[in-house]
Amino acid sequence: MTYLQAISDAMREEMRADERVFVMGEDIGTFGGAFKVTDGFIDEFGPLRVMDTPLAESGIVGTAIGAAVEGMRPIAEMQFSDFISCGFDQLVNVAGKMYYRQGLSVNITVRLPSGGGFSGGPFHSQNPEAWFMHSPGLKVVAPSTAEDAKGLLISAVRDPNPVVYMEHKHLYRRVKGDVDGGTYETPFTARLAREGEDLVVITYGAMVHTALEATEDLDGASVEVLDLRSLVPLDEEAILASVRKCSKVVIVDEANQTCAAGAQVAALIAERGWEDLDGPVVRVATPDVPIPFSPPLEQAVLPQVDDVREACRELLEY
Amino acid sequence: MPQMGVSVAEGTVVEWRKQPGDWIEADEIIAAISTDKIDTDVEAPATGRVQELIVDVGETVEVGTVLARIATDARPGEAHVSEGQSSAGGTSEAAAAMESSGEAGELKGDTTVREEKAPARGPRRYSPVVMRIAAEHDVDLEQVEGTGRGGRVRKQDVLAYIEQGGGEEPPMHIESPYRPDEPAAAKTRKPHFDAPAAEPGPAPEPAPAAAGSAPLSRMRQAIGARMLQSLQTAATCTTIVEADLIRIEAARATSGFTYLPYIARATVEVLREYPALNATLQDDTVTTYDGVHLGIAVSLGEGGLIVPVIRDAQELSVEGLAKRIKDLAQRARGNALTPDEVRGGSFTITNPGSAGSIMATPVINQPQVAILDTEAVVKRPVVITDELGNDSIAIRPMTYLCMSWDHRALDGVAAAQFLNALRKKLESWPTS
Amino acid sequence: MATETAQQSVPPDVSEHLKTEDRAGLLRAMLMMRGIEERAMTLYRQGKVPGSFYDGYGQEAVSAGATWAMGSRDRLCVLHRDLAAHIIRGVPPARIFAQYMGRSGGVTGGREGNVHFGDRELGCVGMVSMLPDMMLVAAGIAMAFKLRGEQRVAMTWFGDGSTSRGDFHEAMNWAGVQKLPVIFVLENNQYAYSTPVNQQFAVNPVERAAAYGFPGETVDGNDPEAMFEATRKARERALAGDGPTLIEAVTMRMHGHAAHDDMKYVPKEQVEEWRAKDPIDRQVRRVEALGVDVQAMRDEVKAEIEAGVQEALAMPMPDPDSATHQLFADEPALLEDGEAPWSGFARGDAGDEGRTPEAGKA
Repeated sequence: MTYLQAISDAMREEMRADERVFVMGEDIGTFGGAFKVTDGFIDEFGPLRVMDTPLAESGIVGTAIGAAVEGMRPIAEMQFSDFISCGFDQLVNVAGKMYYRQGLSVNITVRLPSGGGFSGGPFHSQNPEAWFMHSPGLKVVAPSTAEDAKGLLISAVRDPNPVVYMEHKHLYRRVKGDVDGGTYETPFTARLAREGEDLVVITYGAMVHTALEATEDLDGASVEVLDLRSLVPLDEEAILASVRKCSKVVIVDEANQTCAAGAQVAALIAERGWEDLDGPVVRVATPDVPIPFSPPLEQAVLPQVDDVREACRELLEY
Repeated sequence: MPQMGVSVAEGTVVEWRKQPGDWIEADEIIAAISTDKIDTDVEAPATGRVQELIVDVGETVEVGTVLARIATDARPGEAHVSEGQSSAGGTSEAAAAMESSGEAGELKGDTTVREEKAPARGPRRYSPVVMRIAAEHDVDLEQVEGTGRGGRVRKQDVLAYIEQGGGEEPPMHIESPYRPDEPAAAKTRKPHFDAPAAEPGPAPEPAPAAAGSAPLSRMRQAIGARMLQSLQTAATCTTIVEADLIRIEAARATSGFTYLPYIARATVEVLREYPALNATLQDDTVTTYDGVHLGIAVSLGEGGLIVPVIRDAQELSVEGLAKRIKDLAQRARGNALTPDEVRGGSFTITNPGSAGSIMATPVINQPQVAILDTEAVVKRPVVITDELGNDSIAIRPMTYLCMSWDHRALDGVAAAQFLNALRKKLESWPTS
Repeated sequence: MATETAQQSVPPDVSEHLKTEDRAGLLRAMLMMRGIEERAMTLYRQGKVPGSFYDGYGQEAVSAGATWAMGSRDRLCVLHRDLAAHIIRGVPPARIFAQYMGRSGGVTGGREGNVHFGDRELGCVGMVSMLPDMMLVAAGIAMAFKLRGEQRVAMTWFGDGSTSRGDFHEAMNWAGVQKLPVIFVLENNQYAYSTPVNQQFAVNPVERAAAYGFPGETVDGNDPEAMFEATRKARERALAGDGPTLIEAVTMRMHGHAAHDDMKYVPKEQVEEWRAKDPIDRQVRRVEALGVDVQAMRDEVKAEIEAGVQEALAMPMPDPDSATHQLFADEPALLEDGEAPWSGFARGDAGDEGRTPEAGKA
């Protein structure tokens, strides 16, 4: 099953199991979604539960919030994660703060197809997860495997809080894996993608695969790859355990570098993992520019396998 | 610049006894220094050729400052390393050149002697995890070879060091915090000539400059613990008299013995007259002995030091003592002593003077109350007074008899009386 | 237009669905609102209310009248000048004062200030400062009702300034497209902070409703009975499946935007004109004509308010250590039902009461 099929499977199984669950978004019904994640859903669940909405991201998030406080469990799809900027206010100010302010839980899942690598250009390639890490009251998860794509989505749907679900477009059909049938939950914790001892690469989403490839054969070094899976909550203990074991850390973000998720990881290590470090924390991330369209430009900014490999090699030799 | 007492912050080089190009043996005096606590000599931490004198005479520098460099890969008689190599300036090329000429020892004093593979490099800096592991395992990081960039000590380096046993034993510098703030204690570290590691002196040994790192042996640990315990237990004082051994030398001329059996015999006889020194002190109880159970410190070379005991030494003549000492020393070095032979002493003689030192403050062999240190016999001009009271200058084989004693058990007068009696005994040795 | 709509000096009955008890109840709610806000302003000047302070002086009829028409299982997204809505749904004065003073016994336990609150257990959602975000939330609540086939209605208030923002459009459009059971109450109080309506829009927003496919109605916002009747009818439409209604409640903000605002930008004549249309005075005349002892009501309300103040002053401030608690919910905590005092519900002639699908209390 592909990563994309796992996302579909998660929603389908949850909708079958729980009448409160419904999906909403632009072009998701009859058309089946820009990425065909909800292909065929409308035939099984009907147009009310597979809701084609007006082209209005604030409307999608805002009405999802309203449905949620009335007991529904909407899954709202942004056609591209980039478009969430239009729904930012509803997500950050209404959803994120609702429970803290007045004890009213907002059980919404907002799916954000994110990431670049296919000439999507500045408005179809972003990784905006850090915006929401900085906004109290939102959980943020980012699966890298098909198995986690399904389990994390089901966990998100069942979580009584707003969950931002980052699904990486580049993985949709590239990543495949065995996925259990039925429903299962994946906890919002980190996962060891590979165990190692000499150095740990901490990352999430598509960069997990970049990191695995980059460090598969690195002059015989034993390189650990920690897949964060969840950015909020951040699995601090898993991060610190890896740092304790490996003492050398490379953090990879596909997002723009400044204040990215990896910056928070680096800060955490500086604060709580200092005495375990055997070298500077090294970051590989996209520079602070929009994601350009033309392939050579895009590849120049997005972290490539060689970038990660070189960063690891340098740090190993340190 | 050695730390001559914990409050000393700086020192001045008074004299260099060696110049670049000179050959120097480990523990040979290389310089004289002056601090606000003491003027003293500094011994070389390593054997080799003096490569560079960094601090000029008259210059005052902070404690810990490197005073000189010794090229330890040089060999006697060979030309010394080139000037260009000795003035390594901090570049990696210079460091490489230095490495090709062998490891260099830096003379920084007895608590801070360190070796660096790349002497031109700045002070080493360690990552947090390396420092933490080092602290947890008592590792002296200066002893750890770095394999990282620019010789940086990495986590795996310190872990490997610990794995090979490096970190489990107390580092050699651990004593420095305990050192009394007395100049003499820090300074009169004894050169060990026939047995460099055999001296139970109070000062810690500097790491051999270029020897690399090695864990302390069990015996060294035991010696260290005993010495430290003695210094922490006894109220150690040292009294010294000078003795003219011309009569002993005359006796030796016929017997062929060393000075030691004569001094041992004389000591045994005098101890019989001063039983307060032929004693042990334990738990506020002084025990004196009829017989003299004489301990003789025997160096085991790098293996350390052991003190076999000659029971009832008063029953042995000089010849008997000479024979027993030789026998004990041989068996000690062959690991053939029985446990009973190394305990129960009532007085100890240590004899590092055969290596050329002239004065020392030995550490009392607990629970005994005194230890006699015999030093080198040196020909010196002395004033001789004949029976008529006429003074003249003569060249005589002189030595210092140095005795450390426990002020808890006796007072200085008793110590001085004993030593004077010993001196008289030696100076009136019957000639055959 | 707006300023010409409310000028009856001897108010006739507007709604045949109100009984004397309802009319007195509306007056009582408005007296309570005004009394609480005046008392709170005193506390504010005494330094007992942190932050700023906003009130709805002169606008009491808008929230009181609209809320009176809403059922127990309906849901309300309440604006900051709509205190009467909270009062009618059942929030006691002490909790409101504690809310103003940031005390632990306030509706939000000190996490929110002034009228930024909604008691979820009474079916109310507190506003956010980005008006009119709650239009979308109310639409979403109505969407849930529709998805579940429930006979229930959502309502929200927003101001004239809110009509300029995108969420106004998104919500109006969404609700129109999906024919949602939602009532939008545009509380036109003539000023958004200092900006008068003629700088806010070129076409009266009530006329925009038609463009979204549903009716818009202008109502005398200073008459609680007119507000009730308009809301009641809008609710009937919604329950009948005919979709949303936009009600423009024309009123006047008689005080500054907040306590600091001396409102110099408002012509004195305009204030005087609206003072003559005070909603409470109007309802007093109406109720007195029905033989209700209004003075007794005033005394009772005053005593209740004062008791509430004392109760609130006795409440502790929140524990500073709790500031980081309860960011996330461990369990669902959803909207519950509030009080619905309109006599029509008891009579069973008011729509969905009695029809209570299990959903909505999920």
